[in-house]
Amino acid sequence: MDETVAEYIRRTVLKIPRDEIKMMLQKWDFLSEAQLQTVNFHQIKDNISQEVVQLCEENSADIKQAAVLDIIYNHIYQNKRMWSVYQMKKTGEELEYFDLTDFKKKFKRRLRSALKNVTITFREYEDNAIWIRVAWGTPYRQPNQYKPSYVVYHSQTPYVFISASVLKSNLPLLCQALIVASNYHEIREMELRSHSLNSLKDIVFKRYSQNFPTYCPKPLQGKTVEPESVDLRIIHENKSEKERIQRVNQEVFGNGPQPILQFAQYKLETMFKSSPEMDVLDKKEPFRCLVKFSSPHLLESLKSLAPAGMADAPLSPLLTCITQKARNYFRIREKKGLFPDSFVSP
Amino acid sequence: MAAGARPARAGADGRRVRTRRRRPWRPWRVESAEDGAARTLPSLGRLSRGLPFGRAYGRLGNSPSGRLILPAPLSQESGDPQRTALLLRKAWTLYSVTPLYRFCRGRLRDYARLLGAFIAAERQKGLAVEVGVELDIKVALSSLPELQGSEQDQPAVLVQLSSRSRASPKNSEDKILWSGCFCCVYGDDLSENMPEDFTCLPLFLANGAESYMSVVGNWFQKTFDCIFRRLAISPFSLTWMVAMWTGCKVDKATSAVELVFSVPRLPQPLDISYAIHPEDAKALWDTIQKTPGEITQEEVDVFMDCLYSHFHRHFKIHLSATKLVKVSTAIASAHCDGIVKMLHSQYLSGVLMLLTELAISQIQ
Repeated sequence: MDETVAEYIRRTVLKIPRDEIKMMLQKWDFLSEAQLQTVNFHQIKDNISQEVVQLCEENSADIKQAAVLDIIYNHIYQNKRMWSVYQMKKTGEELEYFDLTDFKKKFKRRLRSALKNVTITFREYEDNAIWIRVAWGTPYRQPNQYKPSYVVYHSQTPYVFISASVLKSNLPLLCQALIVASNYHEIREMELRSHSLNSLKDIVFKRYSQNFPTYCPKPLQGKTVEPESVDLRIIHENKSEKERIQRVNQEVFGNGPQPILQFAQYKLETMFKSSPEMDVLDKKEPFRCLVKFSSPHLLESLKSLAPAGMADAPLSPLLTCITQKARNYFRIREKKGLFPDSFVSP
Repeated sequence: MAAGARPARAGADGRRVRTRRRRPWRPWRVESAEDGAARTLPSLGRLSRGLPFGRAYGRLGNSPSGRLILPAPLSQESGDPQRTALLLRKAWTLYSVTPLYRFCRGRLRDYARLLGAFIAAERQKGLAVEVGVELDIKVALSSLPELQGSEQDQPAVLVQLSSRSRASPKNSEDKILWSGCFCCVYGDDLSENMPEDFTCLPLFLANGAESYMSVVGNWFQKTFDCIFRRLAISPFSLTWMVAMWTGCKVDKATSAVELVFSVPRLPQPLDISYAIHPEDAKALWDTIQKTPGEITQEEVDVFMDCLYSHFHRHFKIHLSATKLVKVSTAIASAHCDGIVKMLHSQYLSGVLMLLTELAISQIQ
C-alpha cells in the first residue's frame, strides 16, 4: 500500500471522535468484522489509527477506498463545512429519467478530459442524495487529498450544494461537469451560504413551515390558568402590544423551527435620508454601507428581536425574506428592490 | 509612629523608608475590567460642560487649518519615529495606573535588573509563563520622550521583555515576548496638584501574554505603590471616538468606519456589523460638525442618530437598544473591553490623549 494512502487513512481516523471510530469503520465496510474485532477501540487514538492502517495494509487499500471513508466522515460531520447553493436550469420541459450510471460516467469523463489528476468518488444515500468527492491535482502533481471539494446533488431537483475547497479555481470546471452530467444548460450560484446543509435543503426545497395566512380575528377563548396569588393591582402594560407582536412574528416567521443560517450580509447603496429638521447630509449619491448580521442561529435570533423590544414588528422584509428568497447575501439599491442575480453559463 | 504614617517599608532602592500614605491602603492586585467599567464614564463635572474629551481641546483652541485635527505633541520633531511606530498596528490592552511613588527616571537600568530578578524568581516558584520553555528573559526599560503632550507630561516609559532561547545561536535577534508602555499625553488634570515624589503616568498599554502582565504589574505595584486596573471603554466613549476619528482627514481612505453591536441576551446571541464607506461617513460628519476644532455632545448625538435611523429605515431594528462593543476607523479601533489598535502615526498622540483622559477619570 502506498505510504501516502496509509498516511491519509491514519489522519482521517484521527479526525473521528474515539467513540465513533468503530461505527464509521463498519459503515465503510472495507475491513471485515473479524478484523475490526482485533482492534482495541479503548486505547488512545494514535494507537487505534495505527492498528487500522495495519489492517488496511493487509487488505491493500488504495486511494479510492480511503476516499470513501472520507466521504462517510464528511457526511456525518457535514456541518463543519461551509456550503453554497447552486441552481441549474434547463431550457425546455423535458422530463428525463435520471440514470445514475450515466450521470457518473459523464461527470468523470468531463472532469478527466480537462484534468488528468483527479480522484472522483461517489456515494449514494437514502434521501436520494448523491455525494461526490473530488480531489484536485495538476497535470504534474497528484491530487491533493487533503483539500477536496464536496458536491451534494439531489437528482430530482435542480439544486446542487457545493463545499468547495480552498482551490476555488477548479469551481468552473466542477460546475461544467455537473451540468453536462445532469443534462442541464446553465448553473448559477445562489446568494445563499450556511454551515447547516440540512437547513439549506429546507430553504430551497421549501421544507420549512411556511406561513399560510389564516383568518383568525379573535384569539381563542380558553380557560386561563390562574397563578397562585393573583394581585389584581398588577397589570401588564402593553399587553395588547405584546400580543400583537407575537401574532405578527408568527405570521412572518411561521410556527415551525427556522432553518439554521449563520449570517446575512447586505450591501446597501441607498440614499441617506434624514428628517428635515436635522440639517445634515443631503447628497445625491448613495450612502454606502455593508451590514452583516451573525449568530449561531440567525433566524431565531431575528425572530426574538421584536418581542425583546429591540425592533419593530413586523420586522423589515429585507430580513424576513431570507428563507423565501433563498438568499443571505443581498445588494440593496434605492427603490429598485433587490438586485437581480447573475447567471453563469458554460 | 506618627498618626497616618505607615510602618517603614523597603523602597525601590532597598533602603528602608518611611512613607506617608496619600490614600488609604489597598490590596495589591490587578483588578478586572468589570470593576473598572463603572468608573469610566466621565465624571459629572465633565458632562455638565458637555465635552467629555473637551478639556484639552478647549485649551488648544482652533487649529490653523480650520478642521479638527487631533493635536500633535510638542516634542514631535525630536525623537525617532521608528520608536513610536512600535505602538502602531498592535492590539493594546488598556490599564489605568495610579501615580508612581518615588519613581526615578535615572534609575531605569536598575529597575530593569530588579524586575528581571523578580521575574526569574516567580518562574522558579512555578508561577507565570509558559511551562517547558527554556528561555532567558531580558528586561529593558527605556524612556520615550516622543510620547508626551504638554511640557508637564512625563515622557513615556517603555518596558520590554525579550527572550533568547538557549538553543538558538548567540547572534540571533531577541524575540520580544511582551511590551508595556506607561504614558501620559496631556494629563495635566492629574499632574497639576501632584506632590513631587509622585510620577504621573496614568495610562498603561500592554501587549503580550497575560501571565507576563501579571508578573510585571505586581512588581510595579509592590515597588512604586501604585495600582493597575483594567480600563474598560463605555459605549458612550466609543461613540465619541468614532465621531472624532471619522472626521479626521486621511490621505487614502482605505478602511471603513465600522461599528459592531452585540445583542447577547437573546435566546440566540446576535452580532451586527455596520460598516460605512469612509468617504460617506466623513461627508456626513462634516455636515454635522459646526465649529472646527470643537466637538459638542449634541453633534455626536446627531451623528449617531443619523446612523441609527438609516439602519432603522432598512431593517426596523433599534440599534440604540443594543450594545456598542467596538468601533473601527482608519485612525484606530477600540473595543469596549479596553483593547485598542492605533493605525495612523499622525494621530497617534491624539488617540493617546483620549485614552489618557479615560484613564485619569478612572483614577479620580
